[in-house]
Amino acid sequence: MRRGTVHAIVGENGAGKSTLMNILYGMYRPDEGTISIDGEPVVLHSPADAIERGIGMVHQHFMLADNFTVLENVVLGSEPRKGPALDFAGARAKIREISRRYGLDVDPDDLLEALGVGDRQRVEILKVLYRGARTLILDEPTAVLVPQEVDELFDALRELKGEGLSIIFISHKLDEVLSVADDITVIRRGTTVATADPRSVTARELAELMVGSELPSPQTTGSTVTDVVELAVEGLSVVDAEGRALLSDIGFEIHRGEVLGIAGVEGNGQAELTEALMGIRPVATGTIHLGTVDITGWSTRRRREAGIGFVPEDRIRQGLLLESPLWENRMLGHQTQPPNSRGPLIDRHAARVDTERIVAEYDVRTPSVDVLASALSGGNQQKLVVGREMSGNPTLLIASHPTRGVDVGAQAAIWDLIRAARREGLAVLLISADLDELIGLSDTISVILRGRFVATVDPHDVTPEQLGSAMTGAQDAA
Amino acid sequence: MNRRRKIILALAAPALAIVFSLGVTALVLVVTGNSPVEVIDKMIESAARPRVQTLIVNSAITYYFAAVAVAVGFKMNLFNIGVDGQYRLAAMLAAAVGGAVVLPAVLHVLLIVVVAVLVGAAWAGIAGLLKVYRGVSEVISTIMLNAIATFLVAYLLQPGVLAETIPGSNNIQTKPIPPSGQVPGLSLIPGSPATVQVYGMIFVAVLVGVAYWFLLSRTRFGFDLRATGASETAAVASGVSVKRMVLASMLISGAVAGLVGMPQLLGASYTYSLDFPAGLGFTGIAIALLGRNHPVGIAFGALLFGFLDNASTALEISGVSPYIVKITQGVIVLSVVIAYEVVRRIAVAAAQRDVGRQLAAGAGNGGAAEVTA
Repeated sequence: MRRGTVHAIVGENGAGKSTLMNILYGMYRPDEGTISIDGEPVVLHSPADAIERGIGMVHQHFMLADNFTVLENVVLGSEPRKGPALDFAGARAKIREISRRYGLDVDPDDLLEALGVGDRQRVEILKVLYRGARTLILDEPTAVLVPQEVDELFDALRELKGEGLSIIFISHKLDEVLSVADDITVIRRGTTVATADPRSVTARELAELMVGSELPSPQTTGSTVTDVVELAVEGLSVVDAEGRALLSDIGFEIHRGEVLGIAGVEGNGQAELTEALMGIRPVATGTIHLGTVDITGWSTRRRREAGIGFVPEDRIRQGLLLESPLWENRMLGHQTQPPNSRGPLIDRHAARVDTERIVAEYDVRTPSVDVLASALSGGNQQKLVVGREMSGNPTLLIASHPTRGVDVGAQAAIWDLIRAARREGLAVLLISADLDELIGLSDTISVILRGRFVATVDPHDVTPEQLGSAMTGAQDAA
Repeated sequence: MNRRRKIILALAAPALAIVFSLGVTALVLVVTGNSPVEVIDKMIESAARPRVQTLIVNSAITYYFAAVAVAVGFKMNLFNIGVDGQYRLAAMLAAAVGGAVVLPAVLHVLLIVVVAVLVGAAWAGIAGLLKVYRGVSEVISTIMLNAIATFLVAYLLQPGVLAETIPGSNNIQTKPIPPSGQVPGLSLIPGSPATVQVYGMIFVAVLVGVAYWFLLSRTRFGFDLRATGASETAAVASGVSVKRMVLASMLISGAVAGLVGMPQLLGASYTYSLDFPAGLGFTGIAIALLGRNHPVGIAFGALLFGFLDNASTALEISGVSPYIVKITQGVIVLSVVIAYEVVRRIAVAAAQRDVGRQLAAGAGNGGAAEVTA
């Protein structure tokens, strides 16, 4: 890759993107081959080595402390010293300087918890720049951003590029790759399969290079919405421990065969909504009906047994047992249902066999169902979770970001399965940060902002940009 | 291949820990002017005697109950430090009941055991309730309950309350359990004198071990329990009621703890007196850690601690402080915790590398997407 450029790496889940990045960042050692920086071969033993060589990594999941200021977060781990004391004044000046030079627009004294997702990402970037990085690795940086924030990020990247920094950009979103990258490398199953010039290649061609098949589209074919209400929520409110409202007066209906999309910037009540529907979080007021039955007071297990599938927003925290084998993870959430158990006993054999079915149907890339969930790449973990929740013929699926981190091929498979289940009467509550997915799959879209439904739009005549404005509340101002 | 590595890794940690702690013990021996070779020699020589072997097995039986009680809690990240108080209170009350009633042989034993199990469960259940309804850390509450149990036992073990003074001695004890409530010993180890027999409670220990294994790995309840231990948030999302699990596992843990005093009570002393063995609960914590909460691992851990305890008495004769084995035991526990964490990280990293390699190999063969199990 060339200095002063943005080099995109695209590839499916398990294609080896993360492994490659981890090698570059010194977390793994290569078995063969060499890495050269400025023409000089280097051996990176640890992230510290990589940092010393000017390589900085911005992880997909932010590694920041909420109760610290930007300044404290940035210096954490490489604290500036003046004698025995910390040199905050010097660090503050340096951060201001970096922020100004690269147009990052970050105030070192802001408290992190007051910042939005886009700002946090810039803090992460600032953190690696502060450590003297000349080459930045960004791992799916746009996954958590709304379109407007993506544009801001790309402006910042162009600024960095202009200053002679090099950026390695990993993403699944091909149109973004095309708009920001100077060079593109496509990898598949651990090898480079192509390099492409973003000026001459289309997103469709790129996707086909990645999967070796046709580009999927989330478009649904015709409406399958029926008259039968599967989920009816009325006047739902949720409050936190201090009594502040997290959700206020949420009401909606999902019919059998309908996909209700929820659009919103993360942290506006989506997680609370799914948890309230699943019975994980207590409801302050309001009722939830599944079919004609009031399930407001039901336990999570009872709701699951009644046929609610749940793809949680945070699969690591809520969806998986990382240090358990895949077949035990297949049982999780369905441990009281066939084929996983018979009466009070679990059926290990049947659970294993069914896990193999999911592995095959959802293309979970794993050598066996006995490996630990932590050994799989994020996208493959997600495929397992989605496959599990779609098993056993659910009547209602509550899905948060069902294709987050999942490659194009598997994304298509998941969309197909949701569509097929929808045709057969599955009701779906879909929460997604991927606005194309939301628009393509949903029959109706509601926009959530600060715990309230602020708008309902028809996915057939809304653009991602319009949706993005509604999500950030820009419409109110206009 | 994979399986073999798994087993090797599983055994590597305790083996490393034991070797390391023997090294530390040897160092301490050298510093205190003793010959490590001689001491180990003495201990092994002593353990070769059938009488000592029987004592080792008997200690191990008692330790096994204590360690399983602790392990039930460990499996879901609950630290039942209170096994000690639970078993002492249970043994004391069971002894009092056993000495007070007249029943046919089998029923009599059954009654005593049931009382012990119920008392143990109830005492641990207090900590469970406090955690579920008031959010009190079970570590704190069980430690305090240990202290309360000590005072409660001291109060109950007074002449005129539940105990009597032994004529011609300062010792105080509960009314002895008549022969119908005693569990006869077994002459399992040939050459051991007739007065030193293996506790009949060994069968109950085996039964508890099997039940523990079955419960954890074959039942839905066990799955919920392990899931809660592995990730509470994921367990909640899967429909596990963590509150119920906390209470249930504390009750089970306490019930098993109630059995800790039974081998001694039903097989040797037939009464609860001032010199009834104390502190077994803490040994149980150490053995559960060493045995990795695994029913077989715990059995080996219990035997090792039984060996160290009983062989150490041979040292006294040669002028070496028997407390040297306490150092060994302590270092084993400390190093085993570290060794397990190190081995765990190696195993997770190895598994990730493996999956990567196998997938890469699949791609190299030009194979299609199928990677079957």
